[in-house]
Amino acid sequence: MADSTNPTVYEIFESMEQGPAAATSTPTAQAWLDHHSRSLGFFMDGKFILPADRRSLSLTDSKGGVVCSTVCAEDADVSQCASSAAAGWKSWSSLSCSQRAKALLRLVGVLGLHGQCVSELCALCEASCSPTALVRLLQYYSSWAQLRDTLIPGWTPVGVVVVVSSDDCSLYSLMLKVLPALAMGNSVIVVPGRSAAPPTLLLAQLFTGAGLPAGALNILTGSDVTLGAKVSRNPDVRLIAYCGNKQDGLALCKASAGMGVPVSVSSCVGATCPFIIFESADIDSAVDEVIQIAFKKKEVHWVLCVQESVSDSVVARLKLRMANIKSVPLSSDADRVLVDAAVQEALQQGATLVQPCGVSPGARYPPTVLCGAAPSSPYVVTPPPGPLLPLLMFRSNTEAVLLGNHSPHGHAASIWTEDLTLALETAKSLSVGSVWVNSSSVSDPCFPVSGHKDSGTGTDGGQEGLYQFLRPSFSSPLPRPSPVSLEYSKFGTEAAQVVIPDSTDGASIPQSYPQFVGGKACKSVSGCSVAVQAPGGDSVLAFCPDGGRKDVRNAVEAAIKVQPGWMKKSPSARAQSLYSLAKGLESRRKEVSASVGAQLGVPAEEADREVELSVGRLNVWAAYCDKVQGGSPPMTQSGAALSFPEPLGVVGIVLPDNAPLLSMVTVLGAAIATGNAVVMVPSQRFPLPALAFVQVLQSSDLPAGLVNIITGNRDQLTVALANHSVIKAIWYWGSAQGCQYLQHTCTSPLKTLRLSWQQDGEGRGAAPDWAQPHPSLMEDLWRNAVQWKSVWIPTA
Amino acid sequence: MSARNPGTDFDLEWLSKVRVNTQAVLKRAQHIQGLKLPKKQWQTAWLLKAASCIDLTTLAGDDTPSNVHRLCMKAIQPVRYDLLRRMDMHDKGLTTAAVCVYPSRVADAVRSLKAANSCLPVASVATGFPAGQTPLETRLQEVRMAVRDGATEIDIVINRTLALTGQWEVMYREIVQFREACGDAHMKTILATGDLGTFTNIYKASMVAMMAGSDFIKTSTGKEAVNATYPVAIVMVRAIRDYFLRTGHKVGFKPAGGIRTAQEALVWLTLIKEELGNDWLHPHLFRLGASSLLADIERQVRI
Repeated sequence: MADSTNPTVYEIFESMEQGPAAATSTPTAQAWLDHHSRSLGFFMDGKFILPADRRSLSLTDSKGGVVCSTVCAEDADVSQCASSAAAGWKSWSSLSCSQRAKALLRLVGVLGLHGQCVSELCALCEASCSPTALVRLLQYYSSWAQLRDTLIPGWTPVGVVVVVSSDDCSLYSLMLKVLPALAMGNSVIVVPGRSAAPPTLLLAQLFTGAGLPAGALNILTGSDVTLGAKVSRNPDVRLIAYCGNKQDGLALCKASAGMGVPVSVSSCVGATCPFIIFESADIDSAVDEVIQIAFKKKEVHWVLCVQESVSDSVVARLKLRMANIKSVPLSSDADRVLVDAAVQEALQQGATLVQPCGVSPGARYPPTVLCGAAPSSPYVVTPPPGPLLPLLMFRSNTEAVLLGNHSPHGHAASIWTEDLTLALETAKSLSVGSVWVNSSSVSDPCFPVSGHKDSGTGTDGGQEGLYQFLRPSFSSPLPRPSPVSLEYSKFGTEAAQVVIPDSTDGASIPQSYPQFVGGKACKSVSGCSVAVQAPGGDSVLAFCPDGGRKDVRNAVEAAIKVQPGWMKKSPSARAQSLYSLAKGLESRRKEVSASVGAQLGVPAEEADREVELSVGRLNVWAAYCDKVQGGSPPMTQSGAALSFPEPLGVVGIVLPDNAPLLSMVTVLGAAIATGNAVVMVPSQRFPLPALAFVQVLQSSDLPAGLVNIITGNRDQLTVALANHSVIKAIWYWGSAQGCQYLQHTCTSPLKTLRLSWQQDGEGRGAAPDWAQPHPSLMEDLWRNAVQWKSVWIPTA
Repeated sequence: MSARNPGTDFDLEWLSKVRVNTQAVLKRAQHIQGLKLPKKQWQTAWLLKAASCIDLTTLAGDDTPSNVHRLCMKAIQPVRYDLLRRMDMHDKGLTTAAVCVYPSRVADAVRSLKAANSCLPVASVATGFPAGQTPLETRLQEVRMAVRDGATEIDIVINRTLALTGQWEVMYREIVQFREACGDAHMKTILATGDLGTFTNIYKASMVAMMAGSDFIKTSTGKEAVNATYPVAIVMVRAIRDYFLRTGHKVGFKPAGGIRTAQEALVWLTLIKEELGNDWLHPHLFRLGASSLLADIERQVRI
């Protein structure tokens, strides 16, 4: 009468087994799916649309059962969706802030009514997201919808935003993009990954039912993320926001290159995150957290870093605590092969295993800690899909930071110590977006978080995360170029046009200017020069160095040496340096003004005016130095939190043609006021003002190498900047092809791009009017020069 | 019963490195309270296990031989015979783990149990329970007399003055003396965690009590303002785990005070299972100090 599935009371009394987990039932979600005949279409114009004859994809659950099927959009659907979104944008953006806020707040009520269905559907589709988290998002962003014009004056919504997620991305990460985009007044086309698609469709239906105008939120499903690029061809689309794994993000960047739509990437899925336990930690609590997070099916891979002095007690506790944990189901047999191979490899390299029980064949694998891993171990670099946790040891606090920063990802880190000073020092030094002190994996929309390094190019959360969905109101959006077929490997390789100097008149040999690398005025490495033509193009005005890859390399080398020191300087010290730079420009105004005049062929008064504006601009940036600051966002639990802006590092800048001096000091000021170092390429046509500025830089007290100016062929130098792995961001004013090249190329490592194409010919294009010091222009510039980090310090 | 904890020399280093993060412990406690509890026959079995771990207690000024006798009878037959019979547990010798009384009532309890032909242990509180604010000599004498009267388990209280002023070594020596006075009787050390102020102090007190040879560490007397709470328990069982990892000796744990419902009993068992594992889910390593819990368990036991 007693069998293993139905033991007697006495047997349980002896074994103290927990009993089987109650089967989760999902009646409401099933009913909703049945209502749609288990075949989900698109959502556009405020309703479901299920066109016939489309390829369909079925979504299976963990046990292999089919949950439902989604369809793949074709060109007709793509254009229908885009026009729905364009119409939606009109109606949604024309509402007042408080009307939008009200609409979003109504969604909270709707979610309250249908939370059960949403959470069941999420559970079915394994796109975990709790309704409470969604409610929090909605409440937070509805208040931002209310206060947009009050707290962010001078900015307007960008238009239609395409939000794309990869198959493995959670619904929460997706909504963290969708809701702020809507709150700011944009309409949204969501291209959800496979698992998030059904719950997103349900939400779209609920939201529209609650009064979101038709077309404000549209869902398009397909087989992969490049559908996001396809739908972005529509000229109303102004931004692609992506969240998910890195590969799909890169594919999307490449697919959308040349469309003139910026892509903000948050590769939150699949990142490697360090979990650092110092000897001053509450070891038991740290181990508890490890057990909680490390072996579940998860979006990130954890790497456990333990201080050597406490590694024995950590491992001993892990062994005890893991003894009770059951094996974890793997998603496929192929995964099992990968996991087995990784474990074998680890054993061969001398790792020791901590496993609760023996390994049995099949689709389940026991949680396993691989002790004795190294940062270079293959299973650390590319973690296999299974419940494996590598354990690394470190000796000192500095070594902990080194290990923590070793991976190319910069998503998040968890650090455990009771020593507040150590916690803050470590948090500062880790290049990640979120640092959880004595906690892990908590998130809240009021925290601004940027993916550092390869983990992204955008900021999500907080007021800081809203700017990606806004543009300065005074600027008119650039006309959209269309992608051309570009041979990326050949870009920037064509030989420069040779100008033979006409040296008949010995008295007026044109002057040779040096460029500025590592604090020294010098020739290019190649030794070659190019001629700078006078306005009208009939005579040679001067010669400037023909810089190339090696010059860029030298400049970056110099820049990374001094940038950390510059970043750590007090803001007021940076301000002083900028004030004195302004003063230096003022004292050399005659020479600089002469070069502006000669270069542009403008009257002296106009040249004088540009120099004067430039002096003023530098003073403005000096004043900004200690005003760009973080804060202490409110926490939902007790404790303290900090958010700070951090410089990107080394920024490559290809400068615009118009207002060559003023535009240069404006972007230069933004970059260095916030703590970055720059490698600047002056306008190919009008390099002289920048070269005249070299003298000002030389006599300034900026650290040598902080500012570098390299002249030469723009495309060639763009290629050099794009292919340098240290440069974290590129600001580019240039050709549409250059923009296309950069968006296609700057993916490994991921660079933050700010691309503006100027129309050929006059070179005045749609670039901002540099002479007008709009506050939103300045804000736009400095916000592009920083990335955000949030530090959580929960307390009792 | 397995080997007793012989204790160790006093080692200040074990205490100096102690770090407890309050919010992490609170979060852990919340997590454990949120875990799914066993259902159906699993629930029944767990509740019977809880019953078997109870130190059925009466510690009141109006205790007399008659109510101590009733208590002993309840301890021998904690759940109605017909109920047990229905789930085939009537012949498994199910009793509570012990009865727990004041020293003056030990003789009554021993007499009642002997008359009923039961070898159920009698536990006695001692050492100036509950405040511990009496001279060491009388506290030791109290222990000896309870043992002489037939108590085989002694629940001593620590001297909180020593704990709060950081005189850990003095406290260690006191407890070592209590242990000597106990002789073969098992010693449960009551930390009165509600009086200790911080989790770190609770952890240190637990460690000192174990180093001094306690067989159990116990949360509270039931007379403080705050009694057995889950966060405190987490700190204490972690100390138990730490001591086990250092010495290989398993020390028992006894939450006491304020545990009244079957539901709470299940959470306590879950906590022990999660933190220490199944080894500790036996009366020789886990006790529940309670007086009214048993009635609720009996109400909830159904099949």
